[in-house]
This record gives sequence, structure tokens and C-alpha cells, in this order.
Amino acid sequence: MVDSGSTFAALIGRQRVLLFCLLAASLGTVSLTAEEQLFGFVRGAETLPAGRSEIYQFVTVRTGKSQGTYVGTDFETEFEHGFTDRFQASVAIENRYIYNRGVDGDRDALDDMNRYRFGGVRASSKYMLLSPFKDALGLALRVEGGYAQHDEVGGLPEKEFFVAPEVDFQKNFRDDTIITEMWMGTEWAWGKQPAEQYPREIAFQGGLGASYRFVRNWFIGVESHIRAEYPLFRLDNFEHYVIYAGPSIHYSAQRWWATLTCTRQAWGEGIDEPLDGRTFAEETKWKIRLKLGVNF
Amino acid sequence: MTERILYVAIPALTIGACHAYATTYHTIESAQKACFEEGTSFESAAVSLTKAQVKAIEKASGVRVRSDKQRVWKATKDGVSTGWFIVDEVLGKHEFITWALALKPDGGVQSIEIIDYRETYGYEIRNADWRAQFLGKKNGAKLQLDEDIKNISGATLSCRHITDGVKRLLAFYEIALR
Repeated sequence: MVDSGSTFAALIGRQRVLLFCLLAASLGTVSLTAEEQLFGFVRGAETLPAGRSEIYQFVTVRTGKSQGTYVGTDFETEFEHGFTDRFQASVAIENRYIYNRGVDGDRDALDDMNRYRFGGVRASSKYMLLSPFKDALGLALRVEGGYAQHDEVGGLPEKEFFVAPEVDFQKNFRDDTIITEMWMGTEWAWGKQPAEQYPREIAFQGGLGASYRFVRNWFIGVESHIRAEYPLFRLDNFEHYVIYAGPSIHYSAQRWWATLTCTRQAWGEGIDEPLDGRTFAEETKWKIRLKLGVNF
Repeated sequence: MTERILYVAIPALTIGACHAYATTYHTIESAQKACFEEGTSFESAAVSLTKAQVKAIEKASGVRVRSDKQRVWKATKDGVSTGWFIVDEVLGKHEFITWALALKPDGGVQSIEIIDYRETYGYEIRNADWRAQFLGKKNGAKLQLDEDIKNISGATLSCRHITDGVKRLLAFYEIALR
């Protein structure tokens, strides 16, 4: 799986690859914009108004293993449409660029790779039961499903189908200048082999964030997201869990918005890994996400 | 080092690409003309609220007062008071919505005009039928979405903030203007 020859990443180094990816993503999509998302990994209860659409470009950089150099960059392009003022749906396509060298420890062994991979396709729908602007607590139900052709860790082939139902909460304070959001849900996945050891898996996942509008157009916040995985849908078959946390900043203009979130692994535990408060088999030290959205 | 670069460079990149849009529907003068009869003259009567007045308005309206300065004009025609014209700002989702409230001499709502609207969604609050719901409302009116004020689905935040703004300015009239 090693990509031989002179590679761009090898030439300019890991740090510069990171910056290059984010820079390229920013410049390449800055003419676009999007349902406004204040956080990188946390979703609230709002939905698009009827008849309105948004295009999103997400770039997620996952980097840092227990050894070696690893940079997984996910490029996700999504189209979302509001069918009623309470119901929206979206479709998305995902691609990855995986770069790793020397990730070859007991806990996170990966073949060296430096190549682009088609990730897969996803679709989601969301129904808002209670409005965060009008009711005491915003509440929405969301379900996402999709097909993944390559896994996000090593870019290995798989034929994964997944469905992920979730509940989204949102509570706003002080004239909607302080916004808190929380979501929780599960993800049921089939066909994860050969990328993973087991063919199916259930994950429990969620996120929590708070953001403050400190000047007009700008929000600054903190967020945390968590995921725990259990192969074979068996809750006695623990694989790993991880918690990430970090700051986020959000800017919104009339037709576009951008959100940047930088989260670090705050705690993790994985089967067959040392109990040092970190897990690297499927996770990384950092998860950094840039989101750009355009609405029309 | 990488971490520091990422924290600094990327926000800077994002900031550098930012600019906003605005739709101006009225100047203050054109809003005044839209609210009052032709031939009305306007005399500035700006108000600086005391802390006690701010507290009293917040208590009476249940709405936070964000500024102790209020732009107010007294309207007269042929030497007779015909009401008040107040320019105010409420929070939109990203920007402020600049709007005007015209009051009759008895403190009832005469009309509402949207002056500047800079939001992506919610411009439907300019709809004349929606604004007409406020006509004649006085301090003490309930002014609650989905009760005495109908909401516009898809423009809920703007509807709520303008409704709260009317409630606050009616209390302002009662406490600081009358």
C-alpha cells in the first residue's frame, strides 16, 4: 500500500501539509456558503426554512498517532434543502486523503499510504419538533444513512452501509446570543470488513457545545464530542471510546458562513491498548474541522 | 509549533475572507414619512435612560435593554402632537435589524417599519399583514408569538425579536417618554 516516489507531503513535511490542506480548502470554497452550524462536531435543533437550500464544504483533518506521521483529511460536500419549515434533507459525498508514514506500533499499526480515496455517499433527514427560538427547548430528530467505500482510518476498502438515528437539542439564552446544543445517537454499521476485524458494529455518539456571539456576526465557543464502539452489536464486546474537546469560532455573513473547530483527544480507551487515557487504533490526537456554507 | 500555527493562521485566513451584505429599505426620513401624514415635522427628542429606568423597562416588558440611548423624534403637525417616532435595533441571527416604531399620542402603536435588514432568512417580517398585528397595541399587551402575535414560520427569530422590541419600546414610552 506504500506509495513510492517523491510525494508532496514528504517534501514539505507534516505541518505544512496540514496548513496546505486547510488553506486549499478555504480558498477553494470561499465563494460558497450554508443551515448555519456554530460548531464543528455538534448539531442543534434548527432546520432550514421551506424552499431554501444550502451547500456545505467540510474539511476535517485528523492527525497524530502514538508514533509515526498520520494525516487523514476528509473532504465532504453536502447539499441540503428545506422541504417545510420543520423538515430538511441532505445528500453528501465524501472523499479522503490519507497520508501516513511509520504508524507501526502495537496499538495503531497502519500500512504506509499517501493517496486519495473515495470515501462514500450519505443522506440525512431532520425534523424539528420544537423551535429553539420559540419553545423552551429546541428539539429535532435526525437520521443519517450512507455507504462507505473506504474507511477513514487507513483508507482501506470496505463495503459499509450505515444508519445513524439521533436526537438534537438546542437551548438559547440572552436574546439568542448564547447558544447551547447537544446531540446523542447511535450508528449501526454493516460491511466493515476487510477494513476492520468485525463485519458489523454499533457506535454510541454525541456532542455538546456552547457558543457566544461576542460581536455581530461572530460566535466563539467550546465543544466536545464522544464516540464509543461495540463490534458485532454486542455491548459486552467493547472496542474503544474517545472524547474530544476544543474551541470553535464561527463567522456568518448574509449568504455564507464559516466555522473552524480544533479538538484534541481529551480521553480515550481502547481494547488491547495501554491504559494511558488515549486510544489511537481508530482515533487521533487531533480532529480539526473547517466548515463553509453558502445558502441560496 | 504546528498547534500554534493552526490556531492562529486558520482563523486569520477565515477572517480575511469575510464581508457582509445589507438591505436598506428606508432612510430614517423615508420611514418617518411612511409612518405619519404628509406635512408632519419631526423634532429630535433622544433619550438617555437612567439605570433605574432601564431596570423598570426590563421589569415591565420582560425584555433586556441592550442600550441606554434611544433615538426618538416627536412628531407634530400644525403645532399639534401627532405621536412619537422611535428608531431601534434588535438582534437578528447575525446582525442587528434596524427598525422604527411610530406611536400615537396615546402610546398605541401606529406603525412599524423595517429600515435595515441584513439577515439571510426572515425578511418576511416586512410583510404588511404581519406588522399590522401590532397596530393599536399598548404597554401591557401580551405580545407573545403564537398567542396575540402570529409567527411567520421560517422567520421565527426575527418575529420574536421584533415582537420583544415592540414590547420593550411600549414600556419605554410609558416609563421614559410619556
